Amino acid sequence: MTDGHGRPLAGRTAVVTGAGQGVGRGIALALAARGANVVVAARRAETGEPVAEEIRARGDEAVCIVTDVTERDAVAACVDATVARYGGLEIMVHNAYQGSTRHRVEELDVDLWRTNSRTAVWGSFYCAQLAFPHLRAAGRRGRLILLTSPAGVEGSVFIPAYGAVKGAQRAIAKSLSREWGPFGITVNCIAPVAETPALAVAFESNPVLRERVEQRTSLRRIGDAEPDIGGVAAFLAGDDAAYVTGQTVVCDGGSFMGL
Amino acid sequence: MSASSGAAVPGELDGAVTVVTAAQTGIGRGLALAVSGAGACVALLGDPEALAPAVAEIEARDGRAVAIDVSFGTRDDVRQAFDEAADELGGPVTGVVHTWMPPEAFERGPLEQVDDDRWNAVWEGAMQAALFVLQAGYAPMRAAGHGRFVFVTPTIALSGAEQLVPYTAAVEGQRVLAKSAARQWGPDGITVNCVAPAPELVPVGVDSMVVSLAPPALGRAGDAETDLGAVVVSLLGERGAFLTGLTLCADGGVWMAP
Repeated sequence: MTDGHGRPLAGRTAVVTGAGQGVGRGIALALAARGANVVVAARRAETGEPVAEEIRARGDEAVCIVTDVTERDAVAACVDATVARYGGLEIMVHNAYQGSTRHRVEELDVDLWRTNSRTAVWGSFYCAQLAFPHLRAAGRRGRLILLTSPAGVEGSVFIPAYGAVKGAQRAIAKSLSREWGPFGITVNCIAPVAETPALAVAFESNPVLRERVEQRTSLRRIGDAEPDIGGVAAFLAGDDAAYVTGQTVVCDGGSFMGL
Repeated sequence: MSASSGAAVPGELDGAVTVVTAAQTGIGRGLALAVSGAGACVALLGDPEALAPAVAEIEARDGRAVAIDVSFGTRDDVRQAFDEAADELGGPVTGVVHTWMPPEAFERGPLEQVDDDRWNAVWEGAMQAALFVLQAGYAPMRAAGHGRFVFVTPTIALSGAEQLVPYTAAVEGQRVLAKSAARQWGPDGITVNCVAPAPELVPVGVDSMVVSLAPPALGRAGDAETDLGAVVVSLLGERGAFLTGLTLCADGGVWMAP
């Protein structure tokens, strides 16, 4: 059990996709530290199980459920298992994403497009639709949080498909916030920049990128997933953010300021 | 913008071969008329039978138009249509006005009723068509050393709208894809911009009051040919040379962010 946050999410259950590493892991740790039961939904048990174990070792509650967000049946099974184990589902966080290989628009093939599209956008569709009955039952405690990116607002010169799918997720959040608002459910996006395995790969394949990112960042550091991104996710997941919906919170140390 | 051979119609777009998608009705038709009226030779991509009245109307105004059959389903299909446009109109395609969306996109319904087939038709259909249109236009524009893309991305996707999740996702996906293309293709002299009309111009049954506390400042949601057309023609012509990656909200003064 982590000190310092209280347990504002005690009695609530969260599913975090892509929680085997990076931002998803940070969010899973942060939500669990604030008392939520956390389902570490990871595509591979090899990454998901250690995160769930790390959470339990802190005295918090978590279980890993292997989930491929690109498959409707897998997301449905994850949601069903979550509700069977914890009795409900209040907070759905869709973070899983694959496909950030550098490319040019004129050469973008349908396979790479689909990798981006299936994980980010189809994943959002499945997570939203299959969580919905439980979020509606949770009423004012119901939360859908989608992980997007500053690239989803301003585009990307390096990874155009990523920008497009992240932009689409923002529209999904806005439209669903209007559609589900009458039930008390909030739907928001977080656009993070944090030290993650994915960012490390991006920096490795594109050496100028780290310098450019750090130069543009007001706080002169790249985020730490648990405190910097997880804390914002915990805020959006909790009662303090019950009147915030349809928004994108950019957590990038003061880099992109276009909202 | 340099002239290609083609109909000697005087005007701002001066014979430039310009593709307009989904010109059989609504926004696409209005923009095709506006672009043709400014002197472009237009290739209307879609179902030729449905496009015949638009072609006839342009010809009746002494413009030059051809209808080219395309389904937007594959990269080769769209590329072939662009090649055909160049052959028929006597010059490379240097302008594209993309308004096409899958017909299913405009059907409203709560997300819980959207099945995989519908999500696929709207989201993948719209996104892959936009990608194929960008790719088909890039090659001739790069060779010509200049080019213009304009995407139509209604404000309803900026504001969000209930029961339109797949549609708004697809519009915003296209809008951000356009920005990335603008970033990559600027060095080739190619601009990529978006024009955002009011929801009244889109067959989704939503009006400006859904996204605003007050009616349009200018008192009307706008006419596709005259109001939107003026903006699109500006972006397609020389006056648009320094504008790229933009979203111009031409909605009569509703959506004012930023």
